[in-house]
Amino acid sequence: MNRPIRIVATAVFTIFAVLVGAVTYHQVIVGPEYRDDPRNVRVATGRTGRERGTIITADGVVVARSEADPDDPLIFRRTYPEGPLYGHTVGYTTLLFGSQGIESTHGADLVSDRDATISGVLSALLGGDIRPKGLRLTIEHNLQLVAREALGDQRGAVVAVDPATGAILAMVSTPEFDPNVLTGSNAGPTGVALDNDPNEPLLNRATAASYPPGSTFKLITAAAAFESGAASAGTPFPNPVELELPGSTATISNFNGQACGPGTEVPLSTAFISSCNTIFGMLGMEVGAEQLVGTAESFGFNAEVPLEIRAIASTMPAADTFEFDVPGIAQSAIGQRDVLATPLQMALAAAAVANGGEVMVPYLVQEIFNAEGIVEESTQPLVWLRATSPGSAAALADLMEGVVTSGTAKRASVPGIRIAGKTGTAEVPNAAPHAWFIGFGPVAPGPDDPQIAIAVLVESGGDAGEAATGGTVAAPIAQLVFAEFFGVGQEGS
Amino acid sequence: MTRNAEAALLAAAAVVASMGVALVNFATGRGFDAQVALTFLVFAVSFGSVHMALRRWAPEGNPYLFPIAAFLAAIGFTEIYRLDPGLASIQRWSLLLAGAVTTTVLLLLRDEGVVMLRRYRYLFLATAVLFLLLPLLPEAWTLHGAEINGSRLWVRLELPVGTRSLSFQPGEIAKVLLVVFLASYLADRHLAMATTGRKIGPIRLPEPRQLGPILIAAGASFAVLVYQRDLGASLLLFALFITMVYVATGRVAYLFTGFVLVGAGGYFAYQTFDHVQRRVFAWLHPFDDFADAGYQIVQSLFAMGSGSLTGSGLGLGRPDLIPAASTDFIFASVAEEMGFAGSIAVLAGYALLLAAGFGIAIRSRDVFRKFLAFGLTIVIAVQSILILAGVLRLFPVTGITLPFMSYGGSSLLANMVLVALLVRASHGERT
Repeated sequence: MNRPIRIVATAVFTIFAVLVGAVTYHQVIVGPEYRDDPRNVRVATGRTGRERGTIITADGVVVARSEADPDDPLIFRRTYPEGPLYGHTVGYTTLLFGSQGIESTHGADLVSDRDATISGVLSALLGGDIRPKGLRLTIEHNLQLVAREALGDQRGAVVAVDPATGAILAMVSTPEFDPNVLTGSNAGPTGVALDNDPNEPLLNRATAASYPPGSTFKLITAAAAFESGAASAGTPFPNPVELELPGSTATISNFNGQACGPGTEVPLSTAFISSCNTIFGMLGMEVGAEQLVGTAESFGFNAEVPLEIRAIASTMPAADTFEFDVPGIAQSAIGQRDVLATPLQMALAAAAVANGGEVMVPYLVQEIFNAEGIVEESTQPLVWLRATSPGSAAALADLMEGVVTSGTAKRASVPGIRIAGKTGTAEVPNAAPHAWFIGFGPVAPGPDDPQIAIAVLVESGGDAGEAATGGTVAAPIAQLVFAEFFGVGQEGS
Repeated sequence: MTRNAEAALLAAAAVVASMGVALVNFATGRGFDAQVALTFLVFAVSFGSVHMALRRWAPEGNPYLFPIAAFLAAIGFTEIYRLDPGLASIQRWSLLLAGAVTTTVLLLLRDEGVVMLRRYRYLFLATAVLFLLLPLLPEAWTLHGAEINGSRLWVRLELPVGTRSLSFQPGEIAKVLLVVFLASYLADRHLAMATTGRKIGPIRLPEPRQLGPILIAAGASFAVLVYQRDLGASLLLFALFITMVYVATGRVAYLFTGFVLVGAGGYFAYQTFDHVQRRVFAWLHPFDDFADAGYQIVQSLFAMGSGSLTGSGLGLGRPDLIPAASTDFIFASVAEEMGFAGSIAVLAGYALLLAAGFGIAIRSRDVFRKFLAFGLTIVIAVQSILILAGVLRLFPVTGITLPFMSYGGSSLLANMVLVALLVRASHGERT
């Protein structure tokens, strides 16, 4: 009677072989599908349920921290004490919507080493620190606050950067959203509503949206002229009321519909300070597509900006697209047609002028520190691109200073500080124009003087609507940020 | 001497359990606390006392069965501790109780061995039936039946102090008693059952009179299904009866009749009971009703898939998302946190346990011991296969505990006694 036992045993072990097959199937073969299934909350909770490091601003204001659940000290909830102010840069890490911003890109630093089982155990046994690390941002909280308040209810963006290092000093995008609502109890419907909002509050307009730069692009056209030797600040240009474009019926006229000041000829410097489209159209055609596109690319156009968070490329069409389109060169030279720039890119352009022609790699994270507060990693400034020669940069700075002292950007001036700037009023079909200001200060600083470069964009004219210009809408916002940075004019107000 | 190997392996299992607890503590930030030492101590005392009893009263018994059981219990305990330290501390008391009862059983069998049980078969049958009926006791009594998760498998004793109560699953004990009864009954009758019968064509059908026990078996398991709404226990009892009768008689007709009856019973159950239909639907289309009927099985698949090859690490997965993670679905919890490697180790553990059990049955000369060893092994085999196949989506989920690993005192107690009987049966197996 051992035969039946053997038969039953064989059947049992055959079933066990099938079980082994099933385990292999579920864990190894289709396992990754189960793991990545959107209904499987494990991956998301792995990042949110555990303790994550603190994120602070350059001046030590906490902008993201993990708080232990009062009921379960092992479960942490991510909170953002400054609410919407850092929503676009610091981002969020949530159960339902994944993660964004610095929270996403520095996830590995922010999560404790307890995640890595074997290395974590080894590290703990060897006396290592397995607690999550923290981040110190380059953003100055007071600048961020002022920039946010200055934008008010208008849609737009402000980017401020240290020209010498590339450190981002402020980065605001409006409308905004509060990342806390994405981690809270009603996260699902709130997140969907934010996503469907026609004002696109989730869009980071500073880095992930591009706009026609309008006259701020004249900075790059002028740079192309200086670099190629096609013109200098004093070169005289004819002064028509309207520039007829060759091979087409299109014309370019100035903002006020008149000639660029009195006289039949005006120097390039006057055309820059008064932002004359006619003369810059001419200049663009004289410089040529190749040089114009080349200079734009040396400022960073057509390349993704190597910022920690996603920063899309600003676009300048390739030179050969202008081969049979000379009017296109003239229109591109004044920042219209198919030229599109992000506020970050335009801030970097202003910063390059301030920094002797070098574009620094922009960055948001200054330091990574451990749980004891000891700095473990510190970001070193790096040169990204050389936009112009130091000589051209100095000449451009000169022109830009003129724009603030006697041109379109008077409302960006700060008493006692030499501010340089350029405004832009970018025309958009069927909508109010975008108002731009880019600039920096102080011009020619002393060896220890801090410098700041700024780009301000107000979408569709903001509160001023059709009447908006860069000088009236964007420049005053920059002025408030400059004033805060230099500590000017706060005593009285 | 083989018992020294057993001692070393049992100590290793205790270390596995306590180190598992230490890892969970580490991963969840609790640090090294008394739980680690306490766990080691409880495993050492519980299995140590059984080991001492075996050393004394069954020195030639198989030395690998208890270490394998202890290893499975250690893995299961670690996962229970990870899911709920409160449950783990109850499980530790269960482990101590199970160790004490098992030692007592070995003490009672010290002179005659398992053969002594053969004399009391009707007492065991009566007790088993009584135990199976206990959950039907009215709710108002101090000792009463209780329904948990739709199955009436539980008996609850309301303690005179406060609102505390003591729950146990008498069915777990009943299955061991039934094996003893069947082994004893078949040892007397197997010759008669094997030789009589009439031939119709190529199949030799059993005498109607000899079909009696199998019909009783079918009836009893069907009664369990109807009154306690427990598909798993019903299938377990039925498979036990059928395979034991088959082994005792060597006649395929019994097996064949059994399969037909299971098929018919299963079809009837499917037609009659909502909860059976629900489980079959959840098995066939778990993703279609993700939020409701399919939730448990899908969470289990997610857990196993997320575990991948080496697992998330103890304390770092989310097995808590699976309903019944510490009982029916303990395997999916282990698979998530210990990965494919852990799953295979557990499957290998059961396979080794069963191989040793079948080996004892095959080597025993005494028919009673042979049937007893076979029946005890089959109980472990069917139970582990039913729940593992449910978790792995090869079969509808039947709601049965995974021996040694699932949380639950009655199950642990019954299975430890079961293994003790196996080891005792293997002592002097060649006589």
